[in-house]
Amino acid sequence: MEQPRSDEDQQLVARTQAGEAAAFDQLVVKYTPRLYGLVYNMTSNHEDTNDLLQDVFSKAYKSIGGFRGKSSFYTWIHSIAVNMTLNFLKKRSRRFHLSLDDMDASVQNDKEFLELTATSSPVREADLSELQRRLNTAMMKLSDEHRAVVTMFHIQGMPHAEISKILKVSEGTVRSRLFYANRQLQNYLDEFRKNPVS
Amino acid sequence: MDPLNEEQIGKLLRLKKYEQPPPGYFDNFLHEFHRRQRDELLKEPIWRIALQRVQDFLFRLNIPGLASYPAAVTALLICAAVISLKVYQTPETVKVAAQNSVPVVATTTSLPAAQWSLSNPVTTRDLGPSLVRTVKDSSKTHRVAAPPRYVLDSTPVSYEPAFRF
Repeated sequence: MEQPRSDEDQQLVARTQAGEAAAFDQLVVKYTPRLYGLVYNMTSNHEDTNDLLQDVFSKAYKSIGGFRGKSSFYTWIHSIAVNMTLNFLKKRSRRFHLSLDDMDASVQNDKEFLELTATSSPVREADLSELQRRLNTAMMKLSDEHRAVVTMFHIQGMPHAEISKILKVSEGTVRSRLFYANRQLQNYLDEFRKNPVS
Repeated sequence: MDPLNEEQIGKLLRLKKYEQPPPGYFDNFLHEFHRRQRDELLKEPIWRIALQRVQDFLFRLNIPGLASYPAAVTALLICAAVISLKVYQTPETVKVAAQNSVPVVATTTSLPAAQWSLSNPVTTRDLGPSLVRTVKDSSKTHRVAAPPRYVLDSTPVSYEPAFRF
């Protein structure tokens, strides 16, 4: 996923800091879909995601006066979103609902989707819908920190360096968390494929 | 059955980006954001709103930027100069008033004989707080500007007859 141009963001931030609320609205419109994906894949719940996103933008609006541009607005707003979501997940009891029914119909045109379903592969042997459902369950079995890394790297397509800035950890930590999370997911999914009724 | 490799897991995970909120969600998100902002504003106490306004105002003036070390030192020096000027320019009236408030008591004292001399016929002496009579405003005469009058209640030595029989 391509990172938005930071000079545009800087201008919008400066205008917001000068008191132009409409400039912040543009930032909200620009970042809502991207942050939605991030928060949703960490919480696995639409309502929680909506509430969290509202809080994220509200907090960002209140603190934008103190934003000095040491990092890009993209990194800054993602840090707020990830930290608030992790704090929320610590308090929340485990509840989630995800299924392929939530997926946009355009998935059927996705190149990777076609590859996974058309060619002979381990994925094809199992029902894709069920496998996806199991993947979501496996995701929720990961720790919050590991799920955050998996979401940002695999789903959002962020590079390691960007993830390390957002989480304020080293790139080595990001890589090791990713490695561990992938192994965990492999184990959960293999278990399912060997024993589909479980 | 081959296990899923990392690449396949990555592909499966990337399909999750197609999980979308209900239609129209993103269109309504901004309206919902504005509504919540208004609700929050109405719930806030007036003092907090006022504080926020002041903070915004200070931010626009870039006060934090001005508050550098040299600026702080300069401000401190100016304050010190102003205070010292005020202290040294204090009017003398305070001092005069203090002097006036000191009790003045004229007493005929019982000095030891050794201390009697013609050059010191009358002396003043502090007799302690019990015998001090303070000069009060009420005791002042209306002729404040008039020079003091001295009354000698005894006849000068030179006018007395030398001998009495």
